[in-house]
Amino acid sequence: MPEPAAPAADQVLDCVGAACPLPVLKTAQAIKELVPGQVLEILATDPGVEPDMRAWTSRTGNELVSIYKQDDVFHVLIRRVG
Amino acid sequence: MTWTDEHQTKLLYVHTHGIDDPGRCATPFFLAAAAAAMEFEVMIYFTMYGPTLLRKDVVDKIGPKGDQGQPLRYFIEQATGLGVRLLVCQPSLDLNDLSLGDLIDGVEVIGAAAFNDLAAAADAVVSF
Repeated sequence: MPEPAAPAADQVLDCVGAACPLPVLKTAQAIKELVPGQVLEILATDPGVEPDMRAWTSRTGNELVSIYKQDDVFHVLIRRVG
Repeated sequence: MTWTDEHQTKLLYVHTHGIDDPGRCATPFFLAAAAAAMEFEVMIYFTMYGPTLLRKDVVDKIGPKGDQGQPLRYFIEQATGLGVRLLVCQPSLDLNDLSLGDLIDGVEVIGAAAFNDLAAAADAVVSF
């Protein structure tokens, strides 16, 4: 089940099957198409996606809203900041 | 040749292996591309056999897994497309009997002093 607090995504980025570093590269590209405050949801199966997204958001200043795994797919919600 | 933004984290990769060891060719480009996606300023310095990986006549012919998967050009362009800069030094071009014209476009030539200056000013230097 998705976390109840997770906001609806404004944009979904499908990275299922994409290996490192593609989820990070695609996320960096996709977030630029959102306006600040909007939320990007990344779907990924790369096993390193959680530490990667924590590092990426911490370095870029974007907000990691939530991350959870459902049916072997990670759902990463990131809010664009600034 | 200097880092352009003092406020950005700066990473310098050093790549010393060449076309004789294709399994080592792509990882530095992966890491550099991810670093650029993290909004770091990133350069890769190719020395020793490293410059052979930038040969125009090589980038479409080798890849980290041979005939499987993407060719080297894919990994190079993934990195440069995100702003990663590629550097070589003249002695390592000489070592491999290369000139700048043999390499893909966009490669910049620096010398030992410039390399040391970049390394000293970087937040981290990662060598392969």
